[in-house]
Amino acid sequence: MDVKHINAFVSGLLNVSNMLGINDIKRTGLAKNESLKTDNDVNIIIGLVGDLRGNVVLSLQEATACNIASKMMGGVPVEQFDLMPKSALCEMANMIAGNSVSNLEQAGSLVDITPPTLVNGRNMISMISQVETIIVQFAASEGTIAINISLE
Amino acid sequence: MSKDSYLSPFSLATSDVLKEMLDINIDGSETASEGDLFVSQGFIVVVGFTGGWKGRFFLDMSSETAIQIASLLTGDDYDSVGDEDVIMSGAEVANIISGNAITDINNSQPGLNIRLTPPSVFAGDGISMFNVRLSSSSALMQTNIGTIKINVAVEGGK
Repeated sequence: MDVKHINAFVSGLLNVSNMLGINDIKRTGLAKNESLKTDNDVNIIIGLVGDLRGNVVLSLQEATACNIASKMMGGVPVEQFDLMPKSALCEMANMIAGNSVSNLEQAGSLVDITPPTLVNGRNMISMISQVETIIVQFAASEGTIAINISLE
Repeated sequence: MSKDSYLSPFSLATSDVLKEMLDINIDGSETASEGDLFVSQGFIVVVGFTGGWKGRFFLDMSSETAIQIASLLTGDDYDSVGDEDVIMSGAEVANIISGNAITDINNSQPGLNIRLTPPSVFAGDGISMFNVRLSSSSALMQTNIGTIKINVAVEGGK
């Protein structure tokens, strides 16, 4: 996996977060895994095809998701993780993917994305990709977010 | 785009693959329209596609059905849906079904050039899937190992 591909997603997430008013977001960690699994209860999957093939998953806790949705909607309190915050989170993931893909294009890779799918559930067992996955963690006052990048 | 034009290639591929690969007969099937929220029976595989059509395909079943499919494929017995073989078997079946369906669609409509993403699997209780502005259609297939449900959503599809 090429570092410029990872950076495209990292700056995609940071750009979009700043655009949405999440200004204090910081990169807190980087990890590598043999496969893509997640323990968080909200996961948004976006598939990649083209010069790169794989999945990118934005993974976070329900409470964080509600905080972000509230921020996106101008501070309206969001207590339940219903259709409204789900839709907001999908939109955010779509923006991040779109932003990242245009970063990738500048780096010389043409990639097409699938529409985001949000998966929500407790005690989930998941297997998203069997290939090496890079996990980049971020923290903001809304909570922590991880972006999982697995490219075949 | 009508619902039939995107659901039927997947229904056909599902019944073909179940029959040819696993010797599972479908006793009856019905279609249903769904909103943007889809609730899983316990085990769900997601395959995304993009190109001329953008959307995703779900293969959904209960944990018990997923375990039985894995047993049929490998000949071993499993007691948990968390077993890697069960998860991989589900992913593989969904990959073959969507591969066949997309090949069929690409062949009958040259120029669409649809491509698939690798499959993702989720298992657990109360899993729900959500897509913005994508309304989807399901086909429920009754088999002797339980109900197998497929769901297809295409951007711009009705």
